[in-house]
Amino acid sequence: MLPLLTIIVFLPLLGAAITALLPKERADLPRLVSLVVSLVDLALVAWLVLRFDVAGGLQFVERANWIPEAGIQYFLGIDGISLPLLFLSALLLPISILVSWEVSERPGFYFTMILLLAVGMNGVFVALDFVLFYVFWEIVLVPMYFLIAIWGGSRREYAAIKFFLYTLFGSVFVLVGILALYLHPGGGTFDMTVLAASTGLPTSFQWWVFAAFFLGFAVKVPVFPFHTWLPDAHVEAPTAGSVLLAGILLKMGTYGFVRVSLPMLPDAAASWAGFVALLGVVSIVYGAAVAFAQTDLKKLVAYSSVSHMGFVMLGIAAGTPEGLNGAVALMFAHGVITGMLFLLVGMVHERTHTRTIAEVSGLSKQVPVAGGMLAFASFASLGLPGLAGFVGEFLSLVGAWRSELVAPGYAIVAAAGILLAAAYMLWMVQRVVLGTPSSAVEGITDLTRLEIGILIPLVVITVVMGVYWSSILRYVDPAVTALLASMGAV
Amino acid sequence: MTEIGPSAFLGLAAVLFTLGLYGAVARRSAVMVLMSLELMAVAVNLNMVALSRFVTPGEMTGQFFAIFTMVVSAAEIGLGLALVLAIYRQTRSVELSAIDSLKG
Amino acid sequence: MAYVALIPLLPAIGFVVMAPLSRATRNRLQWLGLAGVGGSLVLSFAAFAAVWPGGHEGEAAYHASWPIAQVGGVDLSVGLLLDPVAAVMLLVVTVVGACVQVYSVGYMHRDERVGWYFAVLTLFTAAMLALVLADNFLMLYMAWEVMGLCSYLLIGFWHEQEVPRKASQKAFLTTRVGDVGFAIGLAVIYLTVGSFDFDAVLGSAASWAPGVATAVALLLLVGAIGKSAQAPLHVWLPDAMAAPTPASALIHAATMVAAGVYLIARSLPIFEASGVALTVTMAVGAASALLGGLLAAVQHDIKKVLAYSTISQLGYMFLAIGAGGAIAGMFHLVTHAFFKSLLFLGAGVIIHAAHTQDMREMGGLARHLPVTSVTFGAGALALAGIFPFSGFWSKDEILYAVWHNGHYFTFLVALAAAFVTAFYVARLWFRVFTGPVQTDHLAEGHAEMLAPMGVLAAITAVVGFTALGFSEFLGHAGYWPDPAMAIVSTLVAISGLAVGWWVYGRRHLVLNTRALKDRAGHAYTVLAQKYYFDVTYDHVIIRPYIRATESLSRFDRTVIDGVVNSAAVLWKTAAEVAWTFDGRVIDGLVNGTARAARASGGALRRIQAGRVQTYLRYVLGALVLLMLWIVVKGA
Repeated sequence: MLPLLTIIVFLPLLGAAITALLPKERADLPRLVSLVVSLVDLALVAWLVLRFDVAGGLQFVERANWIPEAGIQYFLGIDGISLPLLFLSALLLPISILVSWEVSERPGFYFTMILLLAVGMNGVFVALDFVLFYVFWEIVLVPMYFLIAIWGGSRREYAAIKFFLYTLFGSVFVLVGILALYLHPGGGTFDMTVLAASTGLPTSFQWWVFAAFFLGFAVKVPVFPFHTWLPDAHVEAPTAGSVLLAGILLKMGTYGFVRVSLPMLPDAAASWAGFVALLGVVSIVYGAAVAFAQTDLKKLVAYSSVSHMGFVMLGIAAGTPEGLNGAVALMFAHGVITGMLFLLVGMVHERTHTRTIAEVSGLSKQVPVAGGMLAFASFASLGLPGLAGFVGEFLSLVGAWRSELVAPGYAIVAAAGILLAAAYMLWMVQRVVLGTPSSAVEGITDLTRLEIGILIPLVVITVVMGVYWSSILRYVDPAVTALLASMGAV
Repeated sequence: MTEIGPSAFLGLAAVLFTLGLYGAVARRSAVMVLMSLELMAVAVNLNMVALSRFVTPGEMTGQFFAIFTMVVSAAEIGLGLALVLAIYRQTRSVELSAIDSLKG
Repeated sequence: MAYVALIPLLPAIGFVVMAPLSRATRNRLQWLGLAGVGGSLVLSFAAFAAVWPGGHEGEAAYHASWPIAQVGGVDLSVGLLLDPVAAVMLLVVTVVGACVQVYSVGYMHRDERVGWYFAVLTLFTAAMLALVLADNFLMLYMAWEVMGLCSYLLIGFWHEQEVPRKASQKAFLTTRVGDVGFAIGLAVIYLTVGSFDFDAVLGSAASWAPGVATAVALLLLVGAIGKSAQAPLHVWLPDAMAAPTPASALIHAATMVAAGVYLIARSLPIFEASGVALTVTMAVGAASALLGGLLAAVQHDIKKVLAYSTISQLGYMFLAIGAGGAIAGMFHLVTHAFFKSLLFLGAGVIIHAAHTQDMREMGGLARHLPVTSVTFGAGALALAGIFPFSGFWSKDEILYAVWHNGHYFTFLVALAAAFVTAFYVARLWFRVFTGPVQTDHLAEGHAEMLAPMGVLAAITAVVGFTALGFSEFLGHAGYWPDPAMAIVSTLVAISGLAVGWWVYGRRHLVLNTRALKDRAGHAYTVLAQKYYFDVTYDHVIIRPYIRATESLSRFDRTVIDGVVNSAAVLWKTAAEVAWTFDGRVIDGLVNGTARAARASGGALRRIQAGRVQTYLRYVLGALVLLMLWIVVKGA
């Protein structure tokens, strides 16, 4: 059988090598190569999804010795929790390549970086050996750093360095956690499946390791108060960078919680749950409130991400089937919806050359398709039932309410967050989409066919997932059940 | 009549050498310096002849050396004057203080 | 019976087809919406026939569900439940919906985005039908929210103007305040029962701990208050009149706002298990009925009169359900849906004709708009509660239920509200249809506008007589008007109309209302300020929130990010200190050697003057020194 996961992960690396070696005179080749690579990758992932056995647990496992002296393996596999995220990653890759189609500055390097980023993103979600996991985890930083630092906005150096250092700061604690687990006699391995299944870790030790992982993951998510790198990075990053940053990179943090913190440190997870939920709820309300006051479209979307990821954290902290289902569903939905929002903001910015909310208005009058799409994405983002965002938010709420680890008060405050989300999104829609066109909007052209084509898959997924929840939960629920069973929580 | 001893020759040679040395150090004109150098060479020759006569009377080594040195001095002075002439052509001066191109 | 699924699906398909089309194509295909709703109308009649003769509460003629997800082993599903209540609601929604669609063809034909208007109207109908047919709270909630979206889109339909834009946002956010309560209620239900299904939830409600039942009921009530525009969340409905008038008729009068009432009626077992919640419902309803009615009496905008009237009439329904007259409340929901949509459609014709919504600029329209005045009159009399129009029957039934169940104070409030209702109906009528004509070019509406009004007027005239059958169809003892109650309520209504005529109807006193206002003094100010609800919300909630977000945003930039940046600056400073140390001290040692060599070289260089004589002097000096050394050494 083909090593499917290896191909999926490393095909972009091959593509990156090719784009890096292409002659500089042929500026249109890199994008073609990377598009082909990304589409092949997407097709492979789609095939994987079709062949995935919902009840089959861990699948498509590939295992080989890598550095046997240290017990490090090359170990890949996928289950119902990582599958949606891998699909999301494979889906957003061609989209971010297409939206960068007209990149004129050093296109070869640009697409090399995008493809390199894909290696890390795909890899994190399929790696089951801690060293491998950490390698992929760290690979991601480099291309994203360059994407922001070279193709970013006016404060790109500041944002890129802040992003890099802040998340690296978090990663160090992840590494500490990994080594602590390896060095402890109760752990003693880098095999994530073995660590997840073992129960031999004393609670106090778990507590400290959880703290280390928490710092690392919380920065990545990001949870209040570790979130301030996010708005800067988003504002300065090129559109594709923002899409991948919000769509995938943030998920790596919450994925870490689900894949590492919960199964490996179940006792600590229970005692930390209240704190995690508290930060989640604070993120929900705080992100929503700060988003309301933003004057920059991208910053608004960035802070809305903080708010939404707070729901994910709440669901994870709840540790109930509903909460975890909701958390994974919301990770996926947020990737799609926020991806859509960033794409649209980028497209509008390309035309109006401004992202200041006060200078953009009347989009639906001047450019009905763009305005309509933006309104659609906004409503999806504010959790309208029937669209994807609602599934995760609702289940997280119900899960938190049902949890014995999380106080019901948190669920109530989080529910109020739904209202606040509606407030900042509608306020934005009212100013930007509705009304009469402002001078910056007058005369701009509507979305091209290519741009509409980029958005359509995301729109379709948003609707399908919102109406037929099983489209994602059929993969997630069995995996979540298995996870909770291994934690002894069910 | 007192015989003229080697000290007289050595003393004369020392006087000549000192005069030459003084001239070589103190005179500004390159020509004068060259003449002073000749004076010092003469003092050396005198020393060699005198010491040869008094220390090894049977042999003529000192005398031969003196003649050899005189030949070399003649050649040397010719070369020196040629250099002075060349420098003069360049700088219109034979003042040694003006010639400092050896400065590091 | 699988066709029941088509009832919400047909309009939904209509929307899905219309939404992605280009504007021009969509405008051409606007009939798709009507086709979808028309199909639902036909199927609804079939469904109604299938349920007939009903009579057994809670017994479903059709029940099917499809799981949309499995979470932790629990199925979440979309299900359809066709029982007598649902069947009645289906008829109401599709009849009014179809009437409004037909009417809109005439009313909206000049608008450049008419296709989008019909698409949203159709989606709304689909959502309302799905809500009515839902067999579980989750699906009901989803349909509920989709209706909220449609309401938002229709209120803000003319979004180039500021008023509709703001009104739509206000409507969505205010109803969402209620939805937060609803959502929490759903979570509590799920925690308690482990399911959202009506069967499981309502069947077990009686056995819940009383606190839980009360909590759930009150949370659902919060949702209903938001959706049905009851005090204190009623503030969005008058502003929602910025929507195109037929949309107002369908959404903000007849159907969507009734969804709150429907929710309470559906979850009645929970309310009954609580008891307290029923009382609260009654109180909210009574307050809304009276306060809304009083406000309707001082509005000048004809649509706002009807909007406040809607608040008041929905309050009646809440009051009825809270007082134990759920059937009466549902019956009033049905009659109100017909006569209020009729009034709104009539108002649309009036506004078209008079080119204004301000009643002070209208007058004498009866002669120029004969059809409208007749149909509008039927609706007005129904609203006032005059026999034989439908409002009389349902209002009478409510009053009887309230009296019969011993809520005497509420009964008085309800009577007062009935009086005020009759008063503002008279005020509206006499200001608009009698007196001097103030507008030129008065023209009656198009046929496609008048026809639906005729249908609705006919229904309004006769539907009251079904009162007995209605109760029995829903499985309750039949009710036929109690003669004493009928006399009392009719007297109250007539006296209200009479006072209205006395103030506004007499020819010579037409505009002498200023003196009345002066005499009313503070009371009038309170009414003009709409009891200060809007002002209070603005000052207590909205502005402080906006200020809070701004200071939080500053806090984020300065404090939270400040910590990060200070850490960076601190580190940078430390790095500079280290750099300095490294440069001065560590590297200083290395460089010092080099520098010493260089300095000595520089010093020595000075003796290399380039003068041969100087060198000679050195040689001389050295010679002297050497000789001295030899001498000294030798000695």
